[in-house]
Amino acid sequence: MKLTKLQFTGLVLGISGFLLPLVVVFSGLSFAGHMALGIFLLAAMFWMFEPIPIYSTSILIILLEVILLSVEGPVFMNAELPTETLNRASKHFVIPAEAVSSQQLLYSIDSEGELVGNKVDVTPISKNRVQVEGASLTEGMTIVADAQHRLVQYQPNTYADYLGTLASPIIILFLGGFVLAEASVKYDLDRNLTRLLLGPFGSTPKFIVLGLMLVTAVLSAFMSNTATTAMMMTVILPIIARIDQGDALKVGIALSIPFAANIGGIATPIGTPPNAVVIGALSQQGMIIEFGQWMLYAVPVVLVMLVVAWATIMGLYPAKTERLKLDLSGSFNTTLRAKILYGVFAFTVLAWITEGIHGINSSIIALVPVAALTFFGVIDKDEIRNLPWEVLWLVAGGLALGIALDRTGLAQWLISSIEWGALSRIWLLLVFAVVAVAMSNFLSNTVTATLLIPLAISMASSGIAGSGFNLLITSLVIGISASLAMVLPISTPPNAIAISTGMIQTKDMAKAGVLIGVVGLVMVMIYSIFFWPFI
Amino acid sequence: MSSSIHILVVEDEPEVLDALIRDLEVFEEVFPVEAASTAEEARRVIDSMLDEGAKIGLILCDHVLPGENGVHLLISLQENPDTKAARKVLVTGQAGLEDTVKAVNDADLNHYIEKPWTEEELHSVIVNQLTSYVIENEKSVLPYMQVLDSERLAEVMHQRGNVSDY
Repeated sequence: MKLTKLQFTGLVLGISGFLLPLVVVFSGLSFAGHMALGIFLLAAMFWMFEPIPIYSTSILIILLEVILLSVEGPVFMNAELPTETLNRASKHFVIPAEAVSSQQLLYSIDSEGELVGNKVDVTPISKNRVQVEGASLTEGMTIVADAQHRLVQYQPNTYADYLGTLASPIIILFLGGFVLAEASVKYDLDRNLTRLLLGPFGSTPKFIVLGLMLVTAVLSAFMSNTATTAMMMTVILPIIARIDQGDALKVGIALSIPFAANIGGIATPIGTPPNAVVIGALSQQGMIIEFGQWMLYAVPVVLVMLVVAWATIMGLYPAKTERLKLDLSGSFNTTLRAKILYGVFAFTVLAWITEGIHGINSSIIALVPVAALTFFGVIDKDEIRNLPWEVLWLVAGGLALGIALDRTGLAQWLISSIEWGALSRIWLLLVFAVVAVAMSNFLSNTVTATLLIPLAISMASSGIAGSGFNLLITSLVIGISASLAMVLPISTPPNAIAISTGMIQTKDMAKAGVLIGVVGLVMVMIYSIFFWPFI
Repeated sequence: MSSSIHILVVEDEPEVLDALIRDLEVFEEVFPVEAASTAEEARRVIDSMLDEGAKIGLILCDHVLPGENGVHLLISLQENPDTKAARKVLVTGQAGLEDTVKAVNDADLNHYIEKPWTEEELHSVIVNQLTSYVIENEKSVLPYMQVLDSERLAEVMHQRGNVSDY
């Protein structure tokens, strides 16, 4: 394995980041918070510089959390809080010096076993004993003899919580989508749907591009953006080949597909992994977003952005050709298994969208296609092996990181160092949106969402950003903005595929991508102020 | 990107070799072109390429060469596991039926180009053969889409599903 200079830098930064909290003690951060900080820094560096694949970083996160943070791991395996009973010696309480934290807190255990921090005044009386006074101290109280102990301010999770992220509802929802997509590819359902849906768009280039974009968006809402782009390339390349040299329409068509795929992914929870990150993180906070509810938030954004992208592309790359003939021949597979797939697909999508009516969780519904398609042999073990499992690991690692950040108090500690009160609610949303778009132009969209969501969550739970802060809207802003980055070939896999065909140059992509990114940001802000709060 | 895939041209007549290499220029950036004028030299070139970790994707071979003939060379390359995967094309005007049959049966000959060739014909054969090579031997087809048959490669990507969102 040979690393580039950048990857090597990331490797060194990641490992140093991991070791830093082991040697430096940060005031106000629990022992477990230090562990989590090490994992967080390692993950952030590895995800940004990719010395190892991003899914591998996710797997590493889960391993490190199980070892360093779980009840069953070696660190917390037999951990017990050292306690003492508070007794008055003459007039004052005298206790071990290390029982008082750097923030002058003495921890006591109340009748329910909960840890309570008591503000105390300290007077040293000997090398390792101090005399304390505090309003909440009482005779006979059980106090913690070591404020830096690893169990202070942290109740370790069982390792099953960290491992369980891989079977969390949102992952199962994705699995359902993956299985449907895999079967659709096998029976050519995606391409046949494309032909069927393109029919009504006629032969005017402008409308054909609109049709291509709408179909791409619809498919990528249910399949991966990348798989949709690869399939659409097989549809558009023969069309492009028949367009005259020098007609900008060639560029326009080649550009329309990845952009529509990126945008279309926003539309449903299973459209693209950043959506999963948002929904998964919110559900850990007890906020359940239904399938149809997500679509209600996201589809209006998708529609507007598609029109914006279409207008941008048509404006920048106007067609010279007046008529374009599409070859839409081809027929649906009519074998029994294909028909079962059509039925299962339709049922599943319908059941997902109507979750609000029947109330059955979309992750439960997602198991239906998995079970039915394997039951009837529509897909077999070859297709199951071919599912993009690494994407599930990637998302699961992100969710596990979120658990650790939340549980250890690290996320709260990180954001408490910034003066958020100075930012109004709208500015705060704008900051999140801009940072998300900027980051995900260079990093994986999923990683961007994974790194930003815990910050939003801790802002909400700590109340640090004020009462006007809305976690749901902030999370939507992060998740959707992460999908609006399409300036560079590396911004998303669909962009990379489109560039690889050689039909477009990076500068074409950058020009249109910047325009769409900026308009997208404005749209997200408008929705977050005028639309989302009212549904 | 994985190790580079080379094209090897074996032709003894300098003018013909030049013409072939000129027609191959469009591929040069992605598929470096190597030349040899005898079977013996071809083996040396192949050995040094393999030593550098490069692969041979396509061999364009003349039949009539000084010493060992082209068909014989192709058969021996077919028997060598390191060069078995390479696509093999005979570019010749003088191979008799017997030799040609031998090349098809024993060297798994992929294509036969009769001299004189046209640039379009050569171009389409090479695109076709290299596309097949890439599909059969490379995990990621993305780096080759621009010069090869992008439609076929996109279809393979679609079928394999080995590129995913992240």
